[in-house]
Amino acid sequence: MLSDAEMLRYSRHLLLEDVGELGQKDLKDGKVLIIGMGGLGSPAAMYLAGAGVGSLVLSDFDCLEVSNLQRQIGYQTGDIGADKVELMKHRLEMINPEIRVRSINVEMDEAQLLMELMMVNLVLDCTDNMDSRQMINAACVKAKVPLIVGAAIRLEGQLMFFDNRQADSACYHCLFPNSEEQTLNCSNSGVLGPVVGTIGTMQALEAIKHIVGLPSGVKNRLKLFDGKTLDWQTFVINKDPNCTVCGQNR
Amino acid sequence: MNVIVNESPVEIAENSTVEQLLNHLDKPLKGCALAVNQSIISRSKWSEYKLREGDQISLFQAIAGG
Repeated sequence: MLSDAEMLRYSRHLLLEDVGELGQKDLKDGKVLIIGMGGLGSPAAMYLAGAGVGSLVLSDFDCLEVSNLQRQIGYQTGDIGADKVELMKHRLEMINPEIRVRSINVEMDEAQLLMELMMVNLVLDCTDNMDSRQMINAACVKAKVPLIVGAAIRLEGQLMFFDNRQADSACYHCLFPNSEEQTLNCSNSGVLGPVVGTIGTMQALEAIKHIVGLPSGVKNRLKLFDGKTLDWQTFVINKDPNCTVCGQNR
Repeated sequence: MNVIVNESPVEIAENSTVEQLLNHLDKPLKGCALAVNQSIISRSKWSEYKLREGDQISLFQAIAGG
């Protein structure tokens, strides 16, 4: 049962046939790990907090820098130098005191990540580098935890959803197998705030849909967003039977 | 035969594989993924996947930023 305060807070969800009181209770029971509290993680975490996802775990090990503020909308100029996860935890608790927020202020190794995955039912990859993305993917495949991946650079965004509970799910490594290769990130290529914000917002939307049991348009799909034309392209990601992370010979 | 690569026409030999197309294009492929007609072709299949007349090929790079 939802309390009167919750009924009021989530009234716009309760009006939706696709959410309703049952969906709101699913959100309250939801446990989501969000890794990376930058331009993707800011809107993703704030939307999930507002939506009433009952347990949010935030992970990042950076301090806020002035160059972050152009896109990382959860923070303020006076916050510069403070730990991002602590700032965001406080921000989320201000948005919605009905939820529980926990912060992880270290760079997780695989062992710690696998332990954290036992306590959540969904992961959002909001990180800014390929090594982290490959490690998070491998851990989520191993732990069979669904993973929503977002990435953005310049005026382009990428969005993917791998439901690792399903044996036929592809994985990030099927798509981008070579992690040692040079890839683009925000500090070497630049990015527009609303582009990375769009992708982070889409990660939150897919997370809410997943938790309330709505079908996803991005499972085993890659969505490419072009910020110049506002076009989305959709590609089917086929599971690679030879994938060293999720394939038969792993 | 003709295929379309990122919206530009490219002429290649009949029965070319994805790998042969990429050699023909002589492009740096670091961190790239490739799709034929909106379906991603795994890198492990690039040497065997045969292209057909009119195939639409999309080449794009992994992006890591966030």
